[in-house]
Amino acid sequence: MDPLTYTPTAESLRDHLDGFVDDTLARCTRCGKCFEACPMTGYADALKGADGRQVVPGILDLMQNAPGSAQALAWLGVCSQSGRCTSACPEGIDAMKMVRVARISALGARGGAARLPNNEEPKFFQKINAFSDLQLSEDEVKEWQR
Amino acid sequence: MSGVPEKVTFWYGCNVVRHGDIIHGAIALLEAAGIEVTPAGGAGYCCGTTKDANLKAADGMARRTVEKFNEHQTGAVVTWCPSCYRHMNSFMGQYTDTQFSLSHFTQILHARRDVLAAKFSHPVRRRVLLHKHFGFHEVDVNPLVEDLLRLIPGLELVETTHASPGHMCSALARIPASLTDATRAVCDDAHATGVDTVATVFHSCQRLLCGLAATEPFVVTNYVNLLCEAMGVPLEDEYTTWKTAGSEEAIIAKVGAERIGKVGERFFKESILPELMRKPSR
Repeated sequence: MDPLTYTPTAESLRDHLDGFVDDTLARCTRCGKCFEACPMTGYADALKGADGRQVVPGILDLMQNAPGSAQALAWLGVCSQSGRCTSACPEGIDAMKMVRVARISALGARGGAARLPNNEEPKFFQKINAFSDLQLSEDEVKEWQR
Repeated sequence: MSGVPEKVTFWYGCNVVRHGDIIHGAIALLEAAGIEVTPAGGAGYCCGTTKDANLKAADGMARRTVEKFNEHQTGAVVTWCPSCYRHMNSFMGQYTDTQFSLSHFTQILHARRDVLAAKFSHPVRRRVLLHKHFGFHEVDVNPLVEDLLRLIPGLELVETTHASPGHMCSALARIPASLTDATRAVCDDAHATGVDTVATVFHSCQRLLCGLAATEPFVVTNYVNLLCEAMGVPLEDEYTTWKTAGSEEAIIAKVGAERIGKVGERFFKESILPELMRKPSR
């Protein structure tokens, strides 16, 4: 096994995402192979019979805080982070991350308009804290979680 | 053994806190493998992956978590959660000062499997199917876990080829039809192979599938519990006990007034109980 190590290439998450967007826009050929490899497209009516060469430009559009397309938004809605898209990219782009960054952008987090609802689980951290109290001892919570 | 750190921060994550048995079992396994463990998890060690709509919050959470890991001075972080691993790999590590290496829990156990095998002295007489996903492409966990399960005396691991999309079941939860398909596939495979146990790899699969035991002729158990059973380390899977209790009254009785009081009766009834009453998606 080879543990991973990292050398930071950006000052902040926002800077990192901006750099990733620029790199992806420069390298993506819009061939649509990432979309074709996705195992989830059958779960969205809007994607039935869709052509990846038409969907991917919408993803790249969203990454630039532009409106994208209905099909691109539908693809974001069914992404399960299966990673098949990344394996399929002939240019070596992390297409799974590309879709994730398009979603982050479509949520309005990178300065553009929000085009997707924020479906963050309500009371997420309260539930985490509650289950910690139900399943771990007070000492474990104190020593492991603070 | 090369590549395996002697001292690690075991980053178990957030959602796995529903399963204290998995956390305790994972720590017991790392220690049995000869590794000194500093556990860390819960909301205070969030990776920020849930904060896609708020980059400032995501950035802040990630920095705080990385700083705490650096303070541990173990030089090595071992993740349980595939989402945490992915988020560290794809995002956090790209803009923070990480003074540690990153490995996944399955990689560590697999690298130390010879040490562990010597400790698996208690036969576990079960016929087991491993529930798989194919989405955690950063670490090919399925064969690692299968190798570990094959070390358990008495355990019969059946061969199956089906794997569901996503890195774990929670990735399918917001696409209900896909979670239903994944759940149905587990049941179909279990019926076809006649297993008595479905083993999960990750916590969210355990959370979303364990309720099947109430109606199906098999139980759902995390592989960590099976490995610990083979070591003679007893673990109580209370989450599954609660999920299969059958009624709100039975759940409340099993959790107990003292623990419910700790989290607040109103919060328990409004936010915890509905989750425990929810049936698997079929």
